[in-house]
Amino acid sequence: MDKIDRLGWAAGISFVSYGVRVGIRVNKREILDQLAERFPPGWKPSRARVVERLYSLIVGGEGARLGVRPFNILYGNVEKLLRTLDLDEFLDVFESDVKLHVAAGARRRVFVHAGVVGWRGQAIVIPGRSFSGKTTLVAELLRAGASYYSDEYAVLDGNGLVHPYPRPLSIRENGKRVKYRAEMMGAKSGVTPLPLGLVIVSRYKVGARWRPRSLSVAEGALAMIENTVSIQRQPETVVETLQRAIPNATVLKGTHGEAKQVVDFILDHFDSTVIKH
Amino acid sequence: MTEIRNQPLPRARQERLVVRELSGELLVYDLDRNKAHCLNQTAALVWKRCDGQTSIAEMCRVLEQATGAPVEEQVIWFALDQFTRDHLLEKRVNRPADVHRLSRRALIQRVGLAVSIPLVVSVVAPTVFASASCTQLCPGGLGQCAVPGCQGSCSGIPLTCGP
Repeated sequence: MDKIDRLGWAAGISFVSYGVRVGIRVNKREILDQLAERFPPGWKPSRARVVERLYSLIVGGEGARLGVRPFNILYGNVEKLLRTLDLDEFLDVFESDVKLHVAAGARRRVFVHAGVVGWRGQAIVIPGRSFSGKTTLVAELLRAGASYYSDEYAVLDGNGLVHPYPRPLSIRENGKRVKYRAEMMGAKSGVTPLPLGLVIVSRYKVGARWRPRSLSVAEGALAMIENTVSIQRQPETVVETLQRAIPNATVLKGTHGEAKQVVDFILDHFDSTVIKH
Repeated sequence: MTEIRNQPLPRARQERLVVRELSGELLVYDLDRNKAHCLNQTAALVWKRCDGQTSIAEMCRVLEQATGAPVEEQVIWFALDQFTRDHLLEKRVNRPADVHRLSRRALIQRVGLAVSIPLVVSVVAPTVFASASCTQLCPGGLGQCAVPGCQGSCSGIPLTCGP
């Protein structure tokens, strides 16, 4: 038994998300509700006693002893992930880590780091890492009437269809992350899986003009692989999924400045030239 | 076995590769090196003919039939160089001394645009953490990166830490 197992745990829960079993134990029962808001989409409570990832959360709060700084401490299995006085940071890191591990361990879905919207029955996928500007593009597309699928992961099934990953958009404002529901931006959240219609490989650059060039679908698949969470764990599944997902998609690459330029381009060209089918 | 000037004819590596065709191009994932490669149509045609039996001259003829234009051996060697670099052949194939290495630009100038130049584009497959968003925005300000899997320190504007 590890030392961490001997600490006093007040409550716990286990859940399943995308086939991945996750366990959580906390020293204060009341934190569980706040945590549940940050679980990955589609989670369901589970009775599993064996989990693939166990989080142990020690919440400092007001009950700490006099003279002891009330740190919040997060463990993933037996590894200490974070020690902080800031509860928001504590919850953010928990959320980020649990979503990543579910994405990495999902059995029947492939998770690509990307923003996704639905437009006229097809998915527009914007693969990219942090600060590539994908959330800004997603937000602008929503304002233009697209339906919201995700600002974090494109979730592909075995047939190559793109599923919604319905978490609120996380937009940076003045150095902080602010969460917005799609409905708050006048958009609807997508429900049905969509075929992949357009892949935008782009990076934000101050003042850049959006002058995209077309990539082949195989180059588009390469751009998706660069952002696929589980590529090293299940390369055959990923490659097969992309082979099904991408053949009918148009792939564009370029740098962008103002998000509106890209969105106007997409809306101008979506029907006539961009989407092949 | 036929040989090109005392060395075996090129043979495509078969082991530990995941290969899928996408609209005439090839997507190849190297399980040993965790790298993904995209072979354009010309490179794919050459690679498929790397069977240890087909000579460079025969590969030229295959490309000529596919493109309807004359193909120089330099084009095949340009492809083979890339396959060698990316470990896509069973054994390294060395150019004969009298076949000079050309840059992509020089090759285009030499053969023109009638034949598409064989190209292999590659990316390194990310680890789980490298594909993650290191975007907790460094809530503690300047200092050590707080995101699991993201290393280094928080710096720059906006503050961020890299994987």
